[in-house]
Amino acid sequence: MEANRPLFIPVILGTARMGRMSLHAARLVNQELGKRAGVETELIDIAQLPLPTNDAGEAIKHAGFSATMNRADALVIVSPEYNHGYSGLLKHVLDSCLKEYIHKAVGIVGVSAGPFGGTRVIQNLLPVMRELGLVTIFWDVNFSSVQKVFAPDGKLLDESYVRRIDKFLKELIWMAQTLRQGREQIPLD
Amino acid sequence: MAKTASKMICPHCGVEMNHHCDKLVYATDPQEMAKVDPALGGLIEEFHTCPKCGGVASRAPVPQCV
Repeated sequence: MEANRPLFIPVILGTARMGRMSLHAARLVNQELGKRAGVETELIDIAQLPLPTNDAGEAIKHAGFSATMNRADALVIVSPEYNHGYSGLLKHVLDSCLKEYIHKAVGIVGVSAGPFGGTRVIQNLLPVMRELGLVTIFWDVNFSSVQKVFAPDGKLLDESYVRRIDKFLKELIWMAQTLRQGREQIPLD
Repeated sequence: MAKTASKMICPHCGVEMNHHCDKLVYATDPQEMAKVDPALGGLIEEFHTCPKCGGVASRAPVPQCV
């Protein structure tokens, strides 16, 4: 293995709604990831992916998104909670790939306007992650009352989130390194 | 379960890839449904990763001749 190849961990912003506060959360996580040595990242806004809606699944695979998922060692999914669930568009995008995800780590960031910080959407995403072949970590980040966490211009108002994100990313990076070793070196049998 | 005889070769690096996963996928296409393993309820897909570049590939298992 080329041991010094950096980890690539993109951040997926899982909503296309206008005025989405999750954008600020995704940018913050992306910024914190970018500070880490040996990690490359990019922010993927699902609103910018031109996927058709007259079909679904791998039949509508987007070449650029597929290549990015192929290169990824782990994912961060930033998802707001809409009616206790994730956005339909996020599922539509995730379903467009499969082999690209297998045995890769994923961490989920929940965002809500209420007090629970997206805990319900995270729980709802877990079985989806499992079926896609992704390996979930046990740290989450929960942005509760997100309108109080960020100013309208995106400025972080509560610095305690930086420490929470740090713990979350440490676990995600460890899992990403471990799973890369497994994917590349440890045969199934 | 059928075992694949040959190693996949990374199309970018030309090195042998590591077969690290078999996943059960569910058929939706009528042609695929005919290939469903009745014991498993779906089709097996193999997943391989290149130890040099990290690239991934998948394929259906190729039955090994005996």
